[in-house]
Amino acid sequence: MLEIRNLSSGYRDALVLRDFDCRIAGGRVTALMGRNGMGKTTLLKTIMGLIAARTGTISFDGEMLQNLSTHLISRAGIGYVPQGREIFDGFTVFENLRLSLLGHEGGEPLPIAQIYDWFPILKERAEQKAGTFSGGQQQILAIARALIGRPKMLLLDEPTEGIQPSIVHEIGLQLGKIARDTGLGILIVEQNVDMVRTLADHVLFMENGSIRESCDIEALRRDDSLLHRYLSV
Amino acid sequence: MSELFPIILDASSYILILVLVALGLMIVFGMMGVINMAHGELFMIGAYVMVMAQGLGLPFLAGIILAPLVVGFLGLLIETALIRHIYHRPLDTILATWGLSIALKQLIVLIFGPESHSVALPIDGSVTLGAFTYPIYRLILMAVSAALIGGTFWLFVKTDFGLKARAVIARPDTAATLGIDTRRMYRWSFVIGTALAGLAGALVAPIISVDPQMGLGYLVPGFLSILVGGAGPLAGVLVGGAVVGGVSNLLAVWISPVAALITVYIIAILIIRLKPEGLLGGRRAK
Amino acid sequence: MRNSLIGIIVFGCLAVSPAFIGDYWTGQLSAYLVYGLLAISLSLVWGYGGILCFGQAMFFGIGGYIMAVFTKGMIYPDLTSSYLGLLAAMAGSAMFALALGFFLFAGRGISGAYLAIITLAIALVLERLMNNWYALGGYNGLLNVPPLKLVAFGLSYELWDKLPTFYIILGIVAAVFFAVTLLVNTSYGLLLTAIRTHPDRLSSLGYSVLNLRLSVFSLSAAIAGLAGALFVTLDGFASPTLIGFTLSTEALIWVAIGGKEMLLAAFLGAIFTRTAESWLSEIFGDYWILILGIAFMVSVVLLPKGLLATPFERLTRRKRVRPSSPAIAPSPPDPPSPPSGPD
Repeated sequence: MLEIRNLSSGYRDALVLRDFDCRIAGGRVTALMGRNGMGKTTLLKTIMGLIAARTGTISFDGEMLQNLSTHLISRAGIGYVPQGREIFDGFTVFENLRLSLLGHEGGEPLPIAQIYDWFPILKERAEQKAGTFSGGQQQILAIARALIGRPKMLLLDEPTEGIQPSIVHEIGLQLGKIARDTGLGILIVEQNVDMVRTLADHVLFMENGSIRESCDIEALRRDDSLLHRYLSV
Repeated sequence: MSELFPIILDASSYILILVLVALGLMIVFGMMGVINMAHGELFMIGAYVMVMAQGLGLPFLAGIILAPLVVGFLGLLIETALIRHIYHRPLDTILATWGLSIALKQLIVLIFGPESHSVALPIDGSVTLGAFTYPIYRLILMAVSAALIGGTFWLFVKTDFGLKARAVIARPDTAATLGIDTRRMYRWSFVIGTALAGLAGALVAPIISVDPQMGLGYLVPGFLSILVGGAGPLAGVLVGGAVVGGVSNLLAVWISPVAALITVYIIAILIIRLKPEGLLGGRRAK
Repeated sequence: MRNSLIGIIVFGCLAVSPAFIGDYWTGQLSAYLVYGLLAISLSLVWGYGGILCFGQAMFFGIGGYIMAVFTKGMIYPDLTSSYLGLLAAMAGSAMFALALGFFLFAGRGISGAYLAIITLAIALVLERLMNNWYALGGYNGLLNVPPLKLVAFGLSYELWDKLPTFYIILGIVAAVFFAVTLLVNTSYGLLLTAIRTHPDRLSSLGYSVLNLRLSVFSLSAAIAGLAGALFVTLDGFASPTLIGFTLSTEALIWVAIGGKEMLLAAFLGAIFTRTAESWLSEIFGDYWILILGIAFMVSVVLLPKGLLATPFERLTRRKRVRPSSPAIAPSPPDPPSPPSGPD
């Protein structure tokens, strides 16, 4: 369980999150929805230690994360797939995976064979430069790379942005299967309603730096007024 | 024709040493964005370790082993005490390492005096090839430098350390989210860069006069080589070093060394100005 | 204007100081004032203009050589006016800076670390050049440069004595200091702040970033040239050390220790460092340079705004309202991008 209390965070002059509180349960898929500029990416980056928290605490299964450096947060069991994927495009697919393996050397990283099992395309193209991949393939690589550290919680920032709908669906199904099989918790920041409906168990709505509402995916399927309120312009 | 051989050999050995110095600079610059103005002094201290080793009657090889260890350890101290506090302020690293360079230079003056020292050649002989002769040590120096350059390339291209290092150069934040300890990578890259400078200093000590001011003579051409070369951290240094080192050495045959130096600086400045991404391209201009 | 008030107090103290410090130190202080002028020029271009110039002494040296050439009558034996020399020194330095600045900043200009390295290389080139330019004395430089000669209302007076020289120099330095202080408090100063922090936005507002950079670079060079010209009249000779690399870095140290973003702090940084140097180098001998290097390092790391500027800023904080307009309001800087990568 990821528990965030009184978190304030932001950039030099602008505080984006103010006294932010939320709890993300382990072992299930939570979607975080909201319009652009509401602080979703800032939240994920602060959890990862890429932006320093000004005040407040972030605890993960009892471990305090807010003062740890990013690599230790990663090793504590939080995987991160950043917006725009940020794969190493000059490296081969294998090197991208190998890098994550090296980052988790001290722990028990997932064997690359398991990754290949889940995402056969990565095995086929292991020696290809990642920069030559399509957006969807890069996304798969970025997710696979994060899974190598055997995270207990995976943070996904807009994984469907700029990706063909067919691949979006495929990624959604595969991630859902992995989460069910391994007990992985997922926090996904997403605007794509289809992806959320495919994958999520639970949805949080964010506005102006705080959580305004939450509901089960079933409730959302019955009534999409929340979507209108928090997503449409 | 035969008088051309020593000229080319001299130029090549200068280029190799220059590349060795520039590689250390480039590792630190490419990795951390830190301009280490004290790099020339670390090179100089490597040469002084050699002077001291010979003064103590140690064999030449002991000096060669001691120099990178001593200078690398110094690099570790510098990284811990100075660089890690300011590496997010790139322009301030120029100033702070400049202060460091002044301090190190003066420290050497205080210990060894301002005068120049010389180191005895470990091997005296020379090779005769047809009409010209060439000192054996210079040939060995070239071979060793080439091997070191090759080794550095191997370290950064073929090993796990190199994979991590290149990842940190390309996307430090993303590398950290994959569990890579970027601070540790910065530290060890800095140590490797400084150890290379120390080793280069020890290697050339027998063929140059060792004095407290020698660092600057390699620092500026080293930086110009990096900027001239461009294109990724390593290959560009080779090209830049070849241009800067080669032109200044070859020109010095026909015109005075001072005029050659002025000319090569001007050529380098023109290249950097007109092609900020470097001769090989590929570098994002700062 | 509390800021100017401190300036007036400082220059007032300097004006009365000859009464207390004796003839020798008055002479020394004249030279330090000139170094202070060089520091002001570097503070203007670096702290206000955002151009880190590692070779500021080249303008100092150019000014010095031009002054020497003029007043020694090397161009035209009858044309040895000090006024003309000073003007020519400033104009010559400014023109050199204009040409160099155009080369450096036009188009995809050079900035940041690259600029530091390149200006350092240019200073080295100029120093070597002067060392080997035999018509200008080569390594020895030009000797017997006459002192300043004041001509007014048909009267002429050569400044051989230390006290009048001191006051003339103090007057010039104070005039430049207050003029530059006024200038950076106008809208021009605001534009300089903008160019330092957000050059891209400024150009999208229709300002020519190049012209602004050139103007501040040349103005700073003219001031440095004036300093160099005054210096040779004090010392009596112009040598390659004026133009080179050592003086450039010393100036950088003064300004960094004093505080690059405050003219007065930079100016006092030069005076204090030079005073401390002649005073402490007697006590510490060769250790002085070691101490100076370490002090420089420590001040950069711990007090990036400068040793003197930090307390000054506290004194004048209320008066220093941050200039901000919506278009150029401060915002987070772009994260430093790594200079290269495999991609």
